[in-house]
Amino acid sequence: MSLLVLEHVGRDYDMGHVQVQALRDVSMSIERGEMVAIVGPSGSGKTTMMSIIGCLDRPTTGRYELDGRDVGTLDDRALAAIRSRTIGFVFQSYNLLPGTSALDNVATPLLYQGVGRKERVARAAAALERLGLGTRLGHEPTELSGGEQQRVALARALVTNPALVLADEPTGNLPQHQGEEVLGLFRSLHAAGNTVVLITHNPDVAAAAERRIHLRDGAIESEERVGVAA
Amino acid sequence: MSTLELVRLALSRLRRSRVRAALTMLGVVIGVASVVGLVSVGRGTTAQITEQLSSLGTNLLTISPTGRSTTASLTIDDATAIEGIDGLAAVAPEIETQGTVATSATNTTTTSIVGTSAQYAQVRAYEVWQGTFLSQPEVDESLRSVVLGASVATNLGLGAEAVGSTIQIEGIPFEIVGILQPKGGAGFQNPDDEVLVPLGAVSKYFVGGNGVRAIGVSVANGVDMQSVRDQISELLRVRHGIGATDTDDFQIFDQTQLLQAASTISGTLTLLLGGIASIALVVGGIGIMNIMLVSVRERTREIGIRKALGARGRDILSQFLIEAVVLSLVGGAIGIGLGLVISALIGRLAGWGFIFDPTTVAAATLFSLAVGVVFGVWPARQAARLDPVAALRFE
Repeated sequence: MSLLVLEHVGRDYDMGHVQVQALRDVSMSIERGEMVAIVGPSGSGKTTMMSIIGCLDRPTTGRYELDGRDVGTLDDRALAAIRSRTIGFVFQSYNLLPGTSALDNVATPLLYQGVGRKERVARAAAALERLGLGTRLGHEPTELSGGEQQRVALARALVTNPALVLADEPTGNLPQHQGEEVLGLFRSLHAAGNTVVLITHNPDVAAAAERRIHLRDGAIESEERVGVAA
Repeated sequence: MSTLELVRLALSRLRRSRVRAALTMLGVVIGVASVVGLVSVGRGTTAQITEQLSSLGTNLLTISPTGRSTTASLTIDDATAIEGIDGLAAVAPEIETQGTVATSATNTTTTSIVGTSAQYAQVRAYEVWQGTFLSQPEVDESLRSVVLGASVATNLGLGAEAVGSTIQIEGIPFEIVGILQPKGGAGFQNPDDEVLVPLGAVSKYFVGGNGVRAIGVSVANGVDMQSVRDQISELLRVRHGIGATDTDDFQIFDQTQLLQAASTISGTLTLLLGGIASIALVVGGIGIMNIMLVSVRERTREIGIRKALGARGRDILSQFLIEAVVLSLVGGAIGIGLGLVISALIGRLAGWGFIFDPTTVAAATLFSLAVGVVFGVWPARQAARLDPVAALRFE
């Protein structure tokens, strides 16, 4: 069974007197263990796509099914529960909680799952160590480099063992070598069997994925399945 | 998420912006401190008034003439008649005149000379410090015995050894049989500035006539004051020949009424003071709401991140609400401490000592909790309702 299925999904925004169709009739599915890039220029509907896949938003029309559940029918509380258990987010601007140590940042998703403090700390520390940040546990975001911050964000996305890792321009703010390092981390996640969805405008980033879905003007323009670039 | 986790989160957040937290709390600190301080001042005053009034004698009815004529309307004979009423513990008529009391040609003082019965000490709640009070035989025989009020003894420089010696009252020698304990001032008249002599001695040695300034009546325990009062009133109206439509030429004054009136007044004052002080508390609460609203706006992105990480609306609501409650409760605790210090200082200056009132402390705690909840809930709801997509995009 596919991990996620979109059937004729549309998302309209009501901007006062103008109706904006951010997504139109998008249908696709992503299998477990796939690594998919959703690619498109700005304004193509990428961010809306991420919001819907990430259960931050609901489609206006059509049907979105994640892990066997119809997201469109769920209330805010149930959506929060899905975000908490099923999805790990990585954002372009890292979006770490300011003034909060790397350890506490990574432990936060577990807090919302109701995990006890001891176990939270242990799991968060383990996640940070896997990403080579074992010596940075007590550092706050401002004390970390961009690459380190993004690795903290990745650790935070992975700490709950989500079914889906959803990354929005994960290398957008990083210098090239750090960006490549982060992409390498996503590839090894994929190699370990995780489902990874990258959302990007950058063809070099998209090249890390074996399957690329191109968006334009809120609709799927084309799709390609290729060998992964080295 | 457990409340404990939320409190921990709120505390770490407040630790990060200490100055802001302290300034936000200040309003509640001042509000609670003034409520606690002023209420304790009010209670201290009430306690003091009650204590002084009950030192005037409990179960006491005072009958005094209302002077329309120059001739005395209330007499010793009235007092004798009143003694016949059931349910009285003691009756003490008082005749008063001003006079000079002297131990020598140079050591003199002017004071009230009060002629009364042996029951006076009981009726007026005086304690004897040295010697004894006037005895029944002394009163019956109108002997030249005197009991000194505490102020008079002090003014004349007389101590315990003076009991048994002789002093001159208006030039007439009297034997000092006792000296009273001081009662302290309770208003217009200093109750310690008088000397007490047998009732008959006053008319015999100083002034003629049998008009009294007052008749003190001590009602026995368990007897209804009002019924005694009515009986006395009826008796005196008949004795004075007052017609059904005429007004009394005397008044009966009930000590407990004064006590009740005084404690009602000071209770109202305490409420008023507390009410005024709680305005400061409300202003403090608005300060918290203001800062929480600013905080929600500043932390819009954080809220978005938390929602993306799986926080439910309820989690965000609780987080901000508990932050507001922690602010107001910590402020309240500091305010209670400050208020207690203030009330201890005032109590010391005013002489009623430190009154620790757990009710006030509990009320102040509940009140600051309420301030936190009431003024925190709106900002917290704003935070909880933020759309995660918009919040994440917020710069």
